[in-house]
Amino acid sequence: MSDTTTSVRALDHGSPPERFARGWHCIGLADTFRDGRPHGIEAFGGKIVVWADTQGEINVLDGYCRHMGGDLAQGEVKGDEIACPFHDWRWGGDGKCKAIPYARRVPLRARTQRYETAIVNDQLLIWHDVEGSPADYDILPPQLVGLDEGKYTDWVWVAEEIEGSHCRELIDNVVDMAHFYYVHFAFPTSFQNVFEGHLATQFMESKGRPDKTGGYGDAELFLKSEATYYGPSYMINWLDTDYKGFNTEVVLVNCHVPTGPNSFRLQYGITVKKPEGLDDKTTDFIAQKYAEMFGSGFLQDVHIWKNKVPVQNPLLCEEDGPVYQLRRWYEQFYVDRADIAPEMVDRFEFEVDTTKANEYWQEEVADNLRKKAEDDAAAEASAGAEPSIMTGT
Amino acid sequence: MASFVPTSADTIEDQRLYTSARLVEVACLDCLARVGVKKNSDHHTSIQWSAEARAHCPELSRRTGARDVKDGCPRLHASIDDAARNGRIPIGAEDGY
Repeated sequence: MSDTTTSVRALDHGSPPERFARGWHCIGLADTFRDGRPHGIEAFGGKIVVWADTQGEINVLDGYCRHMGGDLAQGEVKGDEIACPFHDWRWGGDGKCKAIPYARRVPLRARTQRYETAIVNDQLLIWHDVEGSPADYDILPPQLVGLDEGKYTDWVWVAEEIEGSHCRELIDNVVDMAHFYYVHFAFPTSFQNVFEGHLATQFMESKGRPDKTGGYGDAELFLKSEATYYGPSYMINWLDTDYKGFNTEVVLVNCHVPTGPNSFRLQYGITVKKPEGLDDKTTDFIAQKYAEMFGSGFLQDVHIWKNKVPVQNPLLCEEDGPVYQLRRWYEQFYVDRADIAPEMVDRFEFEVDTTKANEYWQEEVADNLRKKAEDDAAAEASAGAEPSIMTGT
Repeated sequence: MASFVPTSADTIEDQRLYTSARLVEVACLDCLARVGVKKNSDHHTSIQWSAEARAHCPELSRRTGARDVKDGCPRLHASIDDAARNGRIPIGAEDGY
């Protein structure tokens, strides 16, 4: 046994999983696939093809033709089927080959992998399970109340390819209280987590840092945030925002698809509940502004992820959130169903004590503001009697 | 088969320290639920439920909505506060866990 006070702490990088998570994965806004063309999307270490049939039903198959491996996404939609660009084999949404125009008959074994689909919140979700289980429609994320009734703006939808990071880095944010201050420039004043079954939730109340701009940095921005992962990859974040006394209900969907063992496509969508008395143009503008804010927030994370190393044995302090319990929860999606241990899904509640952290942070911010005031005064003095130039840009 | 496989035995010990060390059993004063509790400070609380405890809690069993997870059971939380006040839950962390 090593002496804990003198021995050097080693980072355990561990080995990344050899499979992709079981569960529903969102691959984009459903309407983007209804243009009569096939769409190739990298997912789960391969490629899938997505197209809409004549009824507007969206189908998803493995991207490569079972005949000679042609890339179906480069083919054409013919009727209800996707036709391979190589030899025109026609594949139906049920995964069966429906026709081979030059052949007497279709081989009985001409069946490819299909993905079951669901449309939730205008988005296309597909079910993935290496064990090949039927899709579990009981654990779909919930449909936003009022979305279909036109009470929200259209989604502002953004996708970002992340190379060199496992998607668990993104999941870790659920419990990472302190990074909201350092990376996103917000003071978390209250922070709780609840994990149970396939859900992992974070509750946070925060205010923006007055010494920073960008991210969530703004003294007049107060957020009340409730964010739940419905399974391994789809999070809904309900945000009650208060900016200069103006309250807005923002919904952020944060979801991803793993593309390889060390890469994923991050996607986020923003919609804003239309406030009474505001026209659509103004509300859309607000949605766009929040999308930019959270977009810049994600980019702050991405910069960290790209440069960090994986850690299986994070060293925690008392003010940190329950990283180990979150990862234990996340593990359920990477083991066979039969191997899901009770503690992966048992209810767990955690409240972070933010009092000390906030005391230190208030001091630091006050220091920064004082330094900035001094620098500004010095800059003004050295500029002498020169009038300041207003460029207007 | 675990998915994210640690390569050091010390990591397994860390997992134990952070997830299950120092958990004190607290019985709900109003139902048969018994949970594991840890308090690193007055404001910090960690509550580990089991399936059995969860089945005993009438409050949580009543909740079925998609956004009903937030507040824990107020009676269990009161029971934990009572146990903490009476010194049955040691308050304070041990080297961060």
